[in-house]
Amino acid sequence: MLEIDDLTKRYGPVVALDGASFIAQPGRIVGFLGPNGAGKTTTMRCVFGLVRPERGEVRWRGSVVDREARLRFGYMPEQRGLYPRMRVREQLSYFAQQHGLSGRDADAAATRWLERMGLGDRWKSKLEELSHGNQQRVQLTAALAHDPELLVLDEPFSGLDPLGTTTMTAVLRERAAAGVAVLFSSHQLDLVEDVCEDVVIIARGRIVAAGEIDALKRASGRRHLDVEVAGSGGTWLDGRDHLTVLDRSGDRIRLLVDATVDLDELLAAARRGGEVRRFSFEPPKLSELFMEAVADPTTSPFETEAA
Amino acid sequence: MPRWRSILLVARREVLERGRSRGFILSMLFTTAIIVGSFLVPTLLFEDDGDLDIGVLRPAPAGLEVALTAFAAPFGTPLEITTFDDRAAAEAALEADEVEAVVAVPADLSGAGTLIVKEEAGDAVRAIVGAAVVGLRQAALLEQAGVDPADYAAVSTPPAVDALDPQTETDRSQFLFANIGVVLIFVGIFSFGFTVLTGVVEEKQSRVVEVVLSTVRPRDLLMGKVLGIGILGLVQLAMFVVAGVGSALITDRFELPPTAPSAIPLIALWFMLGYTLYSTALGFLGALATRIEEASNASTPVTTVAIVSYLIGLFAVTDDPTGIVARVATFVPPSAPMVVPLRAALGAIEPWEVVVSIAITLVAIYGLFVVGGRVYSGAVLQTAGRMKLRDAWRSAGE
Repeated sequence: MLEIDDLTKRYGPVVALDGASFIAQPGRIVGFLGPNGAGKTTTMRCVFGLVRPERGEVRWRGSVVDREARLRFGYMPEQRGLYPRMRVREQLSYFAQQHGLSGRDADAAATRWLERMGLGDRWKSKLEELSHGNQQRVQLTAALAHDPELLVLDEPFSGLDPLGTTTMTAVLRERAAAGVAVLFSSHQLDLVEDVCEDVVIIARGRIVAAGEIDALKRASGRRHLDVEVAGSGGTWLDGRDHLTVLDRSGDRIRLLVDATVDLDELLAAARRGGEVRRFSFEPPKLSELFMEAVADPTTSPFETEAA
Repeated sequence: MPRWRSILLVARREVLERGRSRGFILSMLFTTAIIVGSFLVPTLLFEDDGDLDIGVLRPAPAGLEVALTAFAAPFGTPLEITTFDDRAAAEAALEADEVEAVVAVPADLSGAGTLIVKEEAGDAVRAIVGAAVVGLRQAALLEQAGVDPADYAAVSTPPAVDALDPQTETDRSQFLFANIGVVLIFVGIFSFGFTVLTGVVEEKQSRVVEVVLSTVRPRDLLMGKVLGIGILGLVQLAMFVVAGVGSALITDRFELPPTAPSAIPLIALWFMLGYTLYSTALGFLGALATRIEEASNASTPVTTVAIVSYLIGLFAVTDDPTGIVARVATFVPPSAPMVVPLRAALGAIEPWEVVVSIAITLVAIYGLFVVGGRVYSGAVLQTAGRMKLRDAWRSAGE
């Protein structure tokens, strides 16, 4: 288990991390969400000792992460980059050896992973001779070839075409199934909802929500109510000014309500307006949870969950 | 995984990637060819054996050839005399550069005659021919006046040279050898130091450094890089020395001084020390830059120190290898790599001075690795613009 515990880091007057804590479990994929500048990259760099936090620590399997532990981690930084003029297989083998594999094992792993990524015939090419998409594959492979127990990927889906996205998703799922703890950051919330069981949301250096996506949704104090009353034009809602209307188009109205709202009373009101064609009461989508969570930390309903 | 393996892997990558690059191989072969060529080409192409070729147009006065040979002796160049029976043949030989000048003096010494040359007469030729012809004519005149030719010959002897500190052929070759050694060290430090500098910037520019540093400590990465590129530098230096010494021995154009066997290992050692010192400084200063153009700005202080050290070696030390400047510069790390081998090649340094100087330089290298490693780790992940030294130092400490 990866434990991020109370990480704090300032760059001059800028607070990058402000007591951030969360965990990532083996066999699970954690989506790490947050607006730009919220502290995602700084957190990941702390895991790899690239940034030294002023306070707090990172633990793996109960002990503070040191260089030996990091050899079993795989990292794909946000700023992609490998040696442009180095041959692909030698390059992958080099990184695998830097993770402690013997020369022979590293060569074998590099060959195996290149086959897996459909680059088996390009092993002798220099990186700069490959297409952008294939360079991305090699970059991912550099994080994978030494068979890490923890994968940390900073924006792995950015810049990928649909084919690349499919490959990436498959690889992440497969690694998690093999017992690897996977942590990745992304701005593509629908994708995260699709790929991850767990999410961590960070804003202004603080974790504002963390846990299973379903649990977070259930725990949310808000619900979405989607009502369609035929021929009403939405007039049945008149006079209920305390309800937040998210969207209104013709007969259809989308409302934001408290989880404790009196549904029977609302349904009755809708029926009085006409024939009810739709009346759906749902937890918010991940993207909505995200917007709420990062909007204002002092009023966030998830803040109590952060610690 | 032990740290040394990590360092060796970095070094190995540098050796393989750079050593196999076409640029490195071509530049090494090219320079080696120039070194060998500078010895072989003059020997093979121009059959210029260094002799002085003078023609004599017949009929010539008796004793002219003997006199020419006698007056040529002090110049140290063997004289080769060709005789011509008519002026046309002599002029043809001049045109063909077979002779440098042709002496045409009446056989009865009734006139001074002429010295025929193609374009202009060299000082040596003029002096030799002039002295020979004047001498012959004076001798003839004095003989007519009843002077004994033996007496005349006796007073024609120039004063003997008595040098207080005679310079031998060995001194000259030793001086030349010492200077070549220092040039090799200086050029080696510069070219391979800048390879480290650009290597650091390239890793930063291509962003690969973040992947590397997720497992390799910053100081280890810098050390491995300096080590790997240093091995290439040593290989190149060895190749140049072998090519130079080999060609010198084969062509016999340059006599190796007796200090050579001890000076060559010292040159290699001081190349390594100097290179390590300078490339470490260049390496961590390079980390402050984000682009190659900025890197050369960041490296200006180091470059300046290197050039000043070289000039100290070139002027102050060769002028007085045991003087106060030379002695002080021996114990100052940036100048020691240039000054110590120079003094050693001149045979003007005490063994204890070499030992102490090596120790001081090693301490300086270690200190630079500690300081440089910290600056490097503070700066190498900063990709937004050029960083200040102080900020990098602080950033790594946080």
